[in-house]
Amino acid sequence: MSKIMTVDILSSIKGAQPSESVNKLFDVIKNANLTNNNSLNNVNNNCVSINNLREDVVIESSAIEKQLIIENFPNKKNGYLVVAKVIEG
Amino acid sequence: MDSQIKHIHQQLVSKEITCTALVQERLDLLKENTYNTVNSLLEITALELAAKVDAKIQKGEKIGLLEGIPFGIKDVYMVQGTYTTASSNLLKNYKSPYTATAIQKLLDAGAIPLVKENCDSFGHGSSSENTIFGAVKNAINPELVAGGSSGGSAVNVAKDYTVFSIGGDTGGSIRQPAGYNNIYGLKPTYGKISRFGLMAYASSTDCVGPLAKTVEDIRIILNVMSGKDSKDQTSYNSKSISEKEISTNTIKTVGYFKNFIESKAIDPDVKADFLASIEKIKATGIKIKELDFFKSDILVSTYYTLAMAETASNLSRLDGTNYGNRIEAENLIETYAVTRSENFSEESKRRIVGGNQVLSQGFSDEIYLKGLALRDQISENFRKDFQEVDVILSPVTPSSPPKIGESLKDPHAMYLSDAYTVGFSLGQLPTLTVPQGTVTGLQISAAKNNEELVLKFANFLKDTI
Repeated sequence: MSKIMTVDILSSIKGAQPSESVNKLFDVIKNANLTNNNSLNNVNNNCVSINNLREDVVIESSAIEKQLIIENFPNKKNGYLVVAKVIEG
Repeated sequence: MDSQIKHIHQQLVSKEITCTALVQERLDLLKENTYNTVNSLLEITALELAAKVDAKIQKGEKIGLLEGIPFGIKDVYMVQGTYTTASSNLLKNYKSPYTATAIQKLLDAGAIPLVKENCDSFGHGSSSENTIFGAVKNAINPELVAGGSSGGSAVNVAKDYTVFSIGGDTGGSIRQPAGYNNIYGLKPTYGKISRFGLMAYASSTDCVGPLAKTVEDIRIILNVMSGKDSKDQTSYNSKSISEKEISTNTIKTVGYFKNFIESKAIDPDVKADFLASIEKIKATGIKIKELDFFKSDILVSTYYTLAMAETASNLSRLDGTNYGNRIEAENLIETYAVTRSENFSEESKRRIVGGNQVLSQGFSDEIYLKGLALRDQISENFRKDFQEVDVILSPVTPSSPPKIGESLKDPHAMYLSDAYTVGFSLGQLPTLTVPQGTVTGLQISAAKNNEELVLKFANFLKDTI
């Protein structure tokens, strides 16, 4: 797997190029001095404890929710939801 | 204590006004407004809900404090059956299948949503110009930007089109537009209010929060929306804050970041006004402490590195497969690429590409992981500061709002204008903008889950500066 993926492929955005404005921000990080390289001390620890995990249950969507999900589908034909062409001929 | 919510509640209960008349009046104002604050109006449901409140009052039934109070919602929140566009082309016809927890709590309390409000697309911006609905105009001077990303929400509150609005704050998106339009805006502690149903921008700093005209209204809305939600496992239980608790000042020491004020980028008027406010606070006997902090460019770069990485991941789901404005091409991969290329704004693309840059092999160590380490150091800095001071005071922005059109020309300058807000986001701290002290207000920050200190000090400042 030595294939290099460019940002336009990674982002699924045609012709995308790194921007100069954003690169300026990244240069600041590259040049920043960390006072302590082992500083990952989890100050912002938002993990959930294993005893506190919610139950893994299936919740049935309401009729209105299902209807709205279908309504949002981008392409419909003869009552079917049409996906983009996946298999190439 | 001054409260628009309490005042209107009293008017409704004493039958001085009807809820229908109140809602209709605000809807008319929103419809006629020329500030580009509205993405869609929720007219039919709002009037139906108002009629129910009137019927209850007529029957002599008691109504809750928020019952019948009209409010606005930034157009990044799910509200079942309403258009939820994130001010983007991609989702311009998208309807929410469900309702965000924070909004549901307000609906359960009887508040009436009037409007989905204009904002920067997916929260990507500091001026509310990055939107398909037209740049939001500043409430005080319509030639200037409203600020962002919750610009429509701030202007609606400032112009009294809504009694309060619910914004979203990732790096300053509630506090900065609140400052630009001279109102209050609170970014609570990360996790205090459930994010379920808020379209994710950068999940590790995204916060739900209120914009309003009084401290008391902020307190009332915060209490209703707070609490643990099983649908957002980063949310936590917290106790309600009482009116009494925040009515008397107990703050003894106030800190401020020396380098914010000594920065070359700060407008001389903002600096002078800020220091004058500090002197007035000092005159009341409160101790003032100068604090050291990270340089602004480090704060801004750390924030944007992490926020771009997170938004690149969060927005990868928007490919037109199950919802959104799909543009068909010759195969699936092309369909994804064309859909995203044609529908995302330039600013959103810039952030997605930046995020994928820092997450890709060869870059993640020297940029993304280093950004995470810097964030930890910033948080540690805050932890130490709050051992010495009760609250930290800062300007909201280095200068006054720019003219409409200026920010779009120079994205890097726009990023740097967030210098004073992003640090508190990285620290996940409660921070409130108050419309006093400088042309764009002041920010009050406290240690995590100390919202009552922030509100208490805001009440104190009302009579002090």
